[in-house]
Amino acid sequence: MEEHEEAIKKVDLEKILEKAIKRGASYADARFQCQDNELITIEKETLESYSSRNLTGVGIRVSVKEAIGFASTSDLTPKNLNRTLENSIKAAKAIKGEKQAFKDKVSKGKFKSPVKIDPIDVSPEEKVSLALDANKAALVNDKIKSATTRLGLSKDFRLFMSSEGANTSVETTIVGLAHTSVAQTNGVMEWVPHSDSKCAGFEFIKSKDWNSLTADLSKLAIEAVSSKTPPPGTYPVVVDPEIVGLLLHEAFGHASEGDLVSTGESVLNKKLGAKLASEHVTIIDEGKVEGGYFYPLDDEGTEKKRTVIVENGILKNYIHDKHSALRFSANSTGNGRAQNFENLPIVRQTNYFMQSDDSKFEELIEDIDFGVYVKGKGSTGGQVEVGMGTFTFNVGPSNIIRNGELTETVRGVVISGLILETLKTIDAVGKDFEMRTSVFGGCGKSGQTVPVGFGGPHVRVRKMTVGGR
Amino acid sequence: MEPTEFAIKKALKMKATEAEAYTQKTKTIRVEFDEKIKSLKTIESTGIGLRVALGKKTAMYSTSVLDENRIGEAVTKAVKTAKVAPEDPSWRHMNRKFGNASAEGYYDGEIGNLSYQEIVGTLLSSVNLIKDYDKRVKPTRGILNITRANISVANTYNESAERSETNVEIWMRTKAEEYGMESTGNEHQEARFWKEVNFEDIASKAAEKAVKFLKAKPIPSGKTSVIIRNQVFASILGVILGYPVTADWVQKGRSPLANKLGSQIASENISIVDDGVMPKGWRTKPFDDEGCPTQRTPIIEKGVLRNYLYDTYTALKDQVKSTGNAQRLFYWIKPQTLPNNLILKTGDASSEEIIRETKHGIYIEETIGEWLSNPVSGNLNATVTHGYLVENGELTKPIKGVVISGNFYELLKNGIEIIGKDLRNSSENYSPTVKITELTFAGE
Repeated sequence: MEEHEEAIKKVDLEKILEKAIKRGASYADARFQCQDNELITIEKETLESYSSRNLTGVGIRVSVKEAIGFASTSDLTPKNLNRTLENSIKAAKAIKGEKQAFKDKVSKGKFKSPVKIDPIDVSPEEKVSLALDANKAALVNDKIKSATTRLGLSKDFRLFMSSEGANTSVETTIVGLAHTSVAQTNGVMEWVPHSDSKCAGFEFIKSKDWNSLTADLSKLAIEAVSSKTPPPGTYPVVVDPEIVGLLLHEAFGHASEGDLVSTGESVLNKKLGAKLASEHVTIIDEGKVEGGYFYPLDDEGTEKKRTVIVENGILKNYIHDKHSALRFSANSTGNGRAQNFENLPIVRQTNYFMQSDDSKFEELIEDIDFGVYVKGKGSTGGQVEVGMGTFTFNVGPSNIIRNGELTETVRGVVISGLILETLKTIDAVGKDFEMRTSVFGGCGKSGQTVPVGFGGPHVRVRKMTVGGR
Repeated sequence: MEPTEFAIKKALKMKATEAEAYTQKTKTIRVEFDEKIKSLKTIESTGIGLRVALGKKTAMYSTSVLDENRIGEAVTKAVKTAKVAPEDPSWRHMNRKFGNASAEGYYDGEIGNLSYQEIVGTLLSSVNLIKDYDKRVKPTRGILNITRANISVANTYNESAERSETNVEIWMRTKAEEYGMESTGNEHQEARFWKEVNFEDIASKAAEKAVKFLKAKPIPSGKTSVIIRNQVFASILGVILGYPVTADWVQKGRSPLANKLGSQIASENISIVDDGVMPKGWRTKPFDDEGCPTQRTPIIEKGVLRNYLYDTYTALKDQVKSTGNAQRLFYWIKPQTLPNNLILKTGDASSEEIIRETKHGIYIEETIGEWLSNPVSGNLNATVTHGYLVENGELTKPIKGVVISGNFYELLKNGIEIIGKDLRNSSENYSPTVKITELTFAGE
């Protein structure tokens, strides 16, 4: 029997929900979660740590006179679950309510991401030796001062039940390998971190040539360490699929989150129907995309379908959970997500990407006199200020474009732009497409981190601010 | 039997050479708000993190469920994994001797007595200050976390220790709008004591900031002197130095500070210390997460690199004493070597004086992406979301969307011209306002 099945047997969620209604709640939902993960870390041919974790617990949300109360616990004894329910009711009673929308279509169903080999069942020896081999392969020469390889596995089971009769479960398995090589020459150091993950079982890990991936990262770090930063300024930039994903996520994704729009915080407030990007730009948020994170339903039991955010440059939709949908008299788009049972769902992106168009890569760079081709390998992320409309992210070792051709490598590249300006300057979109997700990290908002998917084709942006020295 | 004690006994029974159990029980009251209170939550979180060694083979297992069955299973799984793990030739042993430093101000006894009504009342009255400040501005998002944590550590050397800690974090955000222009204001504070949090000050500053930045614009690229506000520089300090000052990074060969003990790596006006016993410090505590006493460790004294920070493993490897810097960021993560409270020592200028002495430059109020700076290369980057031009000793036009870049180690050597006296923290990192002689920035 699966671990989560054993744990859930002991917990009678239906009874708790009934009790919540008896205690005066007009609505209640309960989220049970059982998550197993493993992280194997290898540092320069040595197993630094093998750590495994199980996270099990229940979060109870109630609405009492339209005020939301929430409490969560890992202690699943009936006595303590009752106490947790009482805590959530007490919390709701301490605050004033506002209109809520929990009377919605009730969903039922069980979903599971495709898995051939359960990664938790694979022997520790096999996992460690695979990661050790990948780590050794990165030690290409003595310029590599440090090499860290991590193998990550996660199996996340989530059950959602509501007093309205919803009963859904989603089990997502994701695996991946992350590697960082640090190179040093003449007293100068540089690192290149990168990872590759997929919502799949251990068969994904077995199918890839990790040794050549880590060796390539080392070679890239050695190349980067002797390269310069670009000159600071604003110029044309061609971004690769990984960076276009990051760009959209930061430059547009957060600003299109309904909760940030409804409070007036986001610069996209009152902009539905407005042209905010060039006609080449179409942006989608969708729950199930090959290469992305498996997200058929959100943490409020709402199906996550395809949401068109921008169509040919026009802002069409925001993304919503139930609460923010009500503020716009819209339906939830299935974007209510919580980090785990200890958190309330808030509006989050799922797989946020740009649709391909028809340009070839050569066409994207051919008319650029001076610009940068920015690449994702080595990037550590980005951030946005949705109210000032400013976003930023860093990229890995990249190339200067001079007279339509890729030339020298540059490092330490940081990009910045304005939400309402940058996407208008996209004047060509590639015909390729790539989607990514990660088991190692995710996107942070209001103290919660969730895994996301992002991607798109190669894209040319005419005006972006590039930091440098 | 306590979970830690039970786990240790079970590990010995399973023939582990050594074992360490770390139990964390936290209770967080979390309030999310805009103009009103959006939600109120109590999060009770428990977990046990186990580390076992069989000779030089180690493994970890953790679980959120603290009943004896689950802990027993967890120990079994950890031992089973350790058995097949390859040896770590550098493994010596776990911490054999626990101890307490005399640290003060890490537990606020009054937090347990706070009622929901009092918390909500305090928040709402400060949020109302925002609405009263100016009709163009309103509160849009905020989070208050009040956490009480109980931590216990024990190992198979018959050592054990326990402590309780409190933390209060507030973050408030406002938005101003006028004639199609829009801007925000953010303020945050992290403190050990409820009474230390200045809710009114945070609310009024967040309101004032949003209104002042309505007309903020990018400026052309260039080079100029830059004044960085205390909390922003504290955050940069943490990102760039937090890992490189640890013996862990030095031993792994990825710290730019390796092989530099005793050498002048900064100008004489720079002194940096890690102080685990600083009264009311964000990470102040009597012992670290392996039971070693914490201490005050000078890192840079008048520009000279004096010490690295150690946990038990790295200290045994270098044959020195641990500096009490083992930190479990979460119970399920292996103890890492990290600063307790990383502090840039203050100078004697007030921030007003620093501005007054600047003929031309930029004053940085707030940034995003400073955490994307690179601790390996020392490359410092940040995107200014809220800044001012400084002209003839005064803050003039508001600016935004400018990217600053520099090399942190070059700045330490001859770039930090003035250090202020207004020490503030961004979590465990403490800094006063500083003036940098010259930085490159990318703008329009």
